[in-house]
Amino acid sequence: MKHHLLPVSPKTVHWGYFSKKVAPSLTLKSGDRATIETLTHHANDDYDRMIADDPGAESVFRWTREHKAVVRRGSGPTEGPFIRGSGEGVGVHLLTGPVAIEGAEPGDVLEVRILDVRPRPACKACHAGKCFGSNVAANWGFHYHDLIEEPKPREVITIFELDTSGEPFAKAVYNYVWTPQTDPDGILHPTIDYPGVRVDHATIRKRENILPNVRVPARLHFGTMGLAPSEEDFVSSIPPSYTGGNIDDWRVGKGAKMFYPVAVPGAFFSVGDPHAAQGDSELGGTAIETSLTGDFEFILHKQADLGGTVLEGLTHPMLETDSAWSVYGFTYPNYLAELGANAQLEIANHSSLDRAMRDAFRKLRRFLMTVHRMSEDEAISLMSVGADFGVTQVVDANWGVHGTIRKNVFRCD
Amino acid sequence: MTDGPVVRQGAVPFGMARRLLRFGYDGRCMSLRPFTSESYSEDDRPEAWRDVLGSVGLQPTVATATHCGHATAVRRSFEGVVLARLSAGAQAVSPLSDLASDHPVVLLPIEDGVVLKTAAGHQIIAAGHLLLLPRKGSWSVAFQRDMRAVVLSVTPDSLHGRRASAPGLSDVQVVAPGGFSDVVAGMMDQAARHLETLPDVEWAALAQSLHDLLPTLTRHVVEPAADLGGGTATKAATLHRLCQTIERRLDDPDLTPAKVAVAEGISERYLQKLFEGTGSSFTHYLRERRLQRTSADLSNPAEAHHSISEIAFRAGFNDSAHFSRAFRHRFGLSPREFRQHEAERLAASATAAGQRGWPQAALAQLRSQSTASTARKTAVPDPADEIGHDLAAVPGQKNHHHLSANAAHVHWGYFSRSLKPQIEINSGDTITIETLTQHASDDPERMIEGDAGAESVFHWTRDVKNVDRRGAGPMDASIFGRGAGEGFGVHICTGPVAVKDAQLGDVLEIRILDIVPRASSNPDFEGRIFGSSVAAWWGYHYKEFLAEQNAREAVTIYEIFDHDDEPHARAVYSYRWEPQTDPFGTVHATYDYPGVPVRPATVRRRHGVLEGIRIPLRPHLGVIAVAPREADFVDSVPPAYFGGNLDNWRLGKGSTIYLPVSVPGALLSVGDPHAAQGDGELGGTAIECSMTAIFQVILHKKGNLCGQAFADLTYPLIETETDWVLMGFSHPNYLAEFGAKGQSEVYATSSLDLAMKDAFRKMRRFLMNVKGLTEDEAIALMSVAVDFGVTQVVDGNWGVHAILSKRVFEQPPLPQA
Repeated sequence: MKHHLLPVSPKTVHWGYFSKKVAPSLTLKSGDRATIETLTHHANDDYDRMIADDPGAESVFRWTREHKAVVRRGSGPTEGPFIRGSGEGVGVHLLTGPVAIEGAEPGDVLEVRILDVRPRPACKACHAGKCFGSNVAANWGFHYHDLIEEPKPREVITIFELDTSGEPFAKAVYNYVWTPQTDPDGILHPTIDYPGVRVDHATIRKRENILPNVRVPARLHFGTMGLAPSEEDFVSSIPPSYTGGNIDDWRVGKGAKMFYPVAVPGAFFSVGDPHAAQGDSELGGTAIETSLTGDFEFILHKQADLGGTVLEGLTHPMLETDSAWSVYGFTYPNYLAELGANAQLEIANHSSLDRAMRDAFRKLRRFLMTVHRMSEDEAISLMSVGADFGVTQVVDANWGVHGTIRKNVFRCD
Repeated sequence: MTDGPVVRQGAVPFGMARRLLRFGYDGRCMSLRPFTSESYSEDDRPEAWRDVLGSVGLQPTVATATHCGHATAVRRSFEGVVLARLSAGAQAVSPLSDLASDHPVVLLPIEDGVVLKTAAGHQIIAAGHLLLLPRKGSWSVAFQRDMRAVVLSVTPDSLHGRRASAPGLSDVQVVAPGGFSDVVAGMMDQAARHLETLPDVEWAALAQSLHDLLPTLTRHVVEPAADLGGGTATKAATLHRLCQTIERRLDDPDLTPAKVAVAEGISERYLQKLFEGTGSSFTHYLRERRLQRTSADLSNPAEAHHSISEIAFRAGFNDSAHFSRAFRHRFGLSPREFRQHEAERLAASATAAGQRGWPQAALAQLRSQSTASTARKTAVPDPADEIGHDLAAVPGQKNHHHLSANAAHVHWGYFSRSLKPQIEINSGDTITIETLTQHASDDPERMIEGDAGAESVFHWTRDVKNVDRRGAGPMDASIFGRGAGEGFGVHICTGPVAVKDAQLGDVLEIRILDIVPRASSNPDFEGRIFGSSVAAWWGYHYKEFLAEQNAREAVTIYEIFDHDDEPHARAVYSYRWEPQTDPFGTVHATYDYPGVPVRPATVRRRHGVLEGIRIPLRPHLGVIAVAPREADFVDSVPPAYFGGNLDNWRLGKGSTIYLPVSVPGALLSVGDPHAAQGDGELGGTAIECSMTAIFQVILHKKGNLCGQAFADLTYPLIETETDWVLMGFSHPNYLAEFGAKGQSEVYATSSLDLAMKDAFRKMRRFLMNVKGLTEDEAIALMSVAVDFGVTQVVDGNWGVHAILSKRVFEQPPLPQA
């Protein structure tokens, strides 16, 4: 077993997409561990608190008229002229990786264990040692066309500080309404439509003393973790799918084990979209987006060895925690295959919880029948009385419902 | 490098599509504006509703208060053409006085008639007529009962000023049904029904067509409003009040001008003069309103269980023969023919079969048969009047009561404001209530035999059925022939319990102090506890089986071990449902009627099922309800604002539920006890197991709600030790939203997406009104700290709940000095 270190830098991140074409930033063997740094793509909502004087973050976010450290952001076109910028923001998450696993082949399953998760403190002197995050009630939020107060619509950024002195929690510091921002290339962003645009704090009005007396219990986790899909070279990081990705389940934190079906040789694991806290549904469009560092362990399960294990027949992401198993249902379980050539754009026109619930039901039924050898009647009875379905997210185009079954159901005499 | 234009051609569509990606589902719906009063606190509702009306060129008539009750609207616009479907309570609307436009607003009343008042007088317009309303002037349109209308608004700017060449309109015009206007009305109605789902392209085509049809319609004036004489604004206002009084008292067969005059504080002579001033008379107006009321009720599926004479009587006709003559004279058909005609019309537009509850098609069949035999006494006076001395609460004392489960203490499958209370209690009293699962008959040997209470409730022989009505359907089972009540609602509810002094607007707090399962009384199983779970035809899984025979229902009997360190349930055996013949001889091919005793010899028991599986217990009550105000008999299956079949397992020991009181006495009923259930209740049922619970019931008067977490409550609110749990539904008040069709429509149109929206709006309201947050704070907090989960997808009105941890608002203890 070897322990690797993967810090953030323009060379170790890719922004807004999963890809089987990106050269791995780390290659390791099954059983190896790695400490991986991740950055939130919302760090520029408050540059001073989340980027300034942090060499890793500065190197990734550096963007002047002359130099843009990470050019491509999203799976869109990379040749101009651009509407929003290279990659066109079709996909927004800063992902560290990919990590290639030696010997991984399509049909295998990659197990990723999260051994530890730590926040990344601010570096600038006046904030040093404190940890901050940003929550954005954005144009892709569930609420956006259903606002009751003026002005309508509006995007609101709330900056939180994470307190880890005791039971960790987050407190709001201030908020502001998004104002049109011009990026260093001269493109105007009237809404939040391209990641990593630095918000000029001279253009905004900060409102302090918000959410007084509110303490948000921390749930440190990674919103986006997954493998490169096989269907396309560049795949937007926004819709989650069969190889994982932007699942946005807060249970994917310390102690969790995620299982992903391998779709391309080497598996190509990437992680990012770190969150300090999120509710089931991620209603406004984002969590408390906070840079985090994680310790991971990777275990490759070869296809031939899956029979008779909990991984038999696995074609979708699955979570194991101390107490439960969860399967992830989506509006389209594999939208890339199901929606054809234009899938990355088409998926947003089909978002539906009803379809996601249907998918979660089918996946959990399959799990109980394949892994636990139940009859269909048994599986349905058990799901009705012992399985819990929850809303994972309603903001990532391919909406999610998770089906959870507690382990103590199976604990037997 | 490629040259500019080529790249742009590639990039632009991609960029636009990308925006779609980020806008998510709303990419399709940029022009769609849904509205529900549930988003707003009671204080903010009038203003919000005013905005809705304003978007189609209307405003509340000055003389009346702005509507502040439950209201929903769906509006969709395309380049200035706005089509809206409005659903709200009684009210009157007038023009917004947009002087810039001479295009009329087109209004189509879709369920009940309206009273049109112009400066000159007033006129009654039946449903289905199109009203062309100029955007200025002093007209008003009054919806005497509920407002249900489709409104089309076209302005000169619409479609970039593409000239519609509509003739200017200075007076209100009414277009009677027939020919061209039917086509337009039908198109408006149909388009309005599908506003949420039409793709943009199709909606645009429809909007353009409606825009183009308008000029023809405007010229197509059939009957000019028969204006009924002049009057000043004051006179008009007085007349409006008189009309409202008449509306409220239509059931009084002896309603005289004198009575109305006294009620309104004017002289009878002045009253007569006011009506004469309209070219009509009091007598004529009254008769017209009575006839309109009966025609609405006769075409209302929810009234199908009332006989024609009952309906006539309720509208103040105390002589059937006279009513029949008057009705035929007015509508050209006898009441019976009219009802049948309406039923057939409904049948033609009926929803697909196979859903639970009232099927519209079957309702139509019912109403084409004689309804006389279905007449039942339904109207019971104010419950408080009927309570015997032994049941009445002693004021000022805190008492403990006990309500056992037996045939006399339960109602099966429905909630009703008309039920006589079993007992009246004081606020603060505690009460033990025994509840029975309706699934005890899945294994009568284990769950009924030897248990006097259960035997009394389930007793059913060829001659005697102790609890006859099971469901809100007709007593003669003339729809499906399943049995009395038709199983439109299935839960055995113990109660109702009246709470002294409870009134509309109050909040009832129900604390569950304890809940224990009910052990078998059969000597063979003495002391052991059993429950049943049915993967039923209404389950979420039912239409997509994998294996063997396609559709099947499976019953699993569980044994409950509640004294274990980890209380749990284990499967004993299961069986596939086989057609069961009930004691009256009716065969139940599916699980379509509750309490049909399953004869062991008719099914094949499979043992060794779910071996090694232990289901952790979550004892709770599936049903806790106060009586809804909207209808007499309400199916117990779909939950809504009044509580009911919530099926949220968090409603167990130590939890509290707050419900808005709708009727005097509140009329609390509980039932549907569950030993365990998962979020979703996927197969259709939980582990259904009889339980006895102890409650403390506290009444919060309307005037004392301010500052409480349950102030401004229009939905069931659950409080546990650690959380607030808000219940969202596909249709938060389906009875008000759909009116007469509610008990069928709710099954046809449920979705998790709608329920999620409702849960979101309720949590936003809670955070803003109860916790004092701004909207921006509320949305930020919901995104990072509120968990939304699937409550159930099997109860007609699907549920999503929002859980807010109390920890979020807890302050750490102050540092010691």
